[in-house]
Amino acid sequence: MLGKVLSDLGKIGEIEASAIATRDGLLMNADMHVKGDPETFVAMSATMLGAAETATSELNKGIPNRVIVETDDGKLVCMGAGPKALVVVLTAPEAGLGLILVELTKAAEKIKKLI
Amino acid sequence: MIETGIPKLDDYLLGGIPEGKSLVYYIYPGVEGNVFGMQTMYHTVSNGRYGVYVASSTDPRMIREQFDEFGWNTDECGDRFIIVDAFSGLIGADSRERYVVSDPEDVNDLTQCIKQAMEDLDGPGVVVFESLSTIMDLCGEFETLDAIEEWNQYAMLYDHAMVYNFTAWPYSEDTLLHIKEDICNSAISVGGISERVIFGQYFGILKADWMDVPRKCVLFKIVRPGGIRVYIPKILVTGPFNAGKSTFVHALSNRAVSVDRLGTTIALDHGHIDYRGFTADIFGTPGQERFDPIVKLLSGEAMGVFLVLDSTNAADFVRGKRMLEITMSFGLPIVIIANKQDLQGALTPEEIRKKLSMPTNVPIMPVIATNRDGVFEAFETLVDMVMEVD
Repeated sequence: MLGKVLSDLGKIGEIEASAIATRDGLLMNADMHVKGDPETFVAMSATMLGAAETATSELNKGIPNRVIVETDDGKLVCMGAGPKALVVVLTAPEAGLGLILVELTKAAEKIKKLI
Repeated sequence: MIETGIPKLDDYLLGGIPEGKSLVYYIYPGVEGNVFGMQTMYHTVSNGRYGVYVASSTDPRMIREQFDEFGWNTDECGDRFIIVDAFSGLIGADSRERYVVSDPEDVNDLTQCIKQAMEDLDGPGVVVFESLSTIMDLCGEFETLDAIEEWNQYAMLYDHAMVYNFTAWPYSEDTLLHIKEDICNSAISVGGISERVIFGQYFGILKADWMDVPRKCVLFKIVRPGGIRVYIPKILVTGPFNAGKSTFVHALSNRAVSVDRLGTTIALDHGHIDYRGFTADIFGTPGQERFDPIVKLLSGEAMGVFLVLDSTNAADFVRGKRMLEITMSFGLPIVIIANKQDLQGALTPEEIRKKLSMPTNVPIMPVIATNRDGVFEAFETLVDMVMEVD
């Protein structure tokens, strides 16, 4: 079921890797089109999201909707999916952020319902 | 005894399958369970014994390739690796195997072939069925059940061990119950966890009539090459600042990454270890107090904990104990790492125990993480403790 959410997400194009993990960094499902270790990918993503939440909530700025990381080679977007899980994608550099954010939000909703 | 070659399972079975007995891997649909039979087959053959693999749903050449995928070279085993080809007959293909079932839909034909192979074996070995469920689909449920009894009796005669891969498709209730509880001397359930948050696979012993059955469930992961590994999804490494946590994670891991700035971990060390049939993911926390919120966040769902201490720095022991509280480790298996034993003024594990007033059921192990002294002993100790927990 979670696999389907990720493969649907992959269909929007420019997505090089996507994964679902628990908030504490354990891999639940991954769809990797690039070489790499999904366990480490999600552990670090969970850390980023957690650190971002701590940073903003410390200053009473609420909980971040997402963490976006931009590099010359692509983008990484990490988003909470309900209280227990998170979803993260890695994109090609030319990927449009708008569509990805819309689809990722939808995916997060689906995951939230599944778990 | 014929070892199954599945890590931990042989321990639980008190050595393996006694000669002349039978074992069924009762596999829930959707779980990649046939590897269990394959691993038992290869383990037996590579130990110099004979193995017969009854192929019912795959071409024998493909089967050899499947073994290859796990790094198990069947050619090296020579004629000790025997295939009963109950597949080629289905598609009308030629077979190069010594034992060929001409009509795989006729259970008597199959029985004859299997009996012949058992007779020909030069000493006790193992007979592994690639897929009992396929045989059942082809030959009928009742016919197959009767045949299993016949095969098992025949195996007893020649002291072979019988091993069946059985996928529990929706057959009749009676059939499923019969296979699970009656027909074999032992049954191992192989299933998936889907209700809980971690999506994993486990095995456990349902029955073994030569011993008291331990109520254990073991998570596993299938790795290529390698086969079935007992899997521990999260082992936490925590401890005060500058105790050597990152060094410990790296010493233990086959591959590891760290998020370091100015020589200290600020987010997380993540390592992966593959050691003697066990595989685990290791999460190392930062030690400085300002990172405590992240430590709290990342320490959920751990199955075991290493507390790393600098043996020369008794002032930080209290902080170490506090970190066990932050990570909510009490109640989990804990091993304390008395690190930096090579330095001047290092306290012995017993001295550390006194200073921490730790109960004796928490092992304290001397370690020099910089040159890997004691790290694997510590890992084995923790794994044993994790495995003891029900």
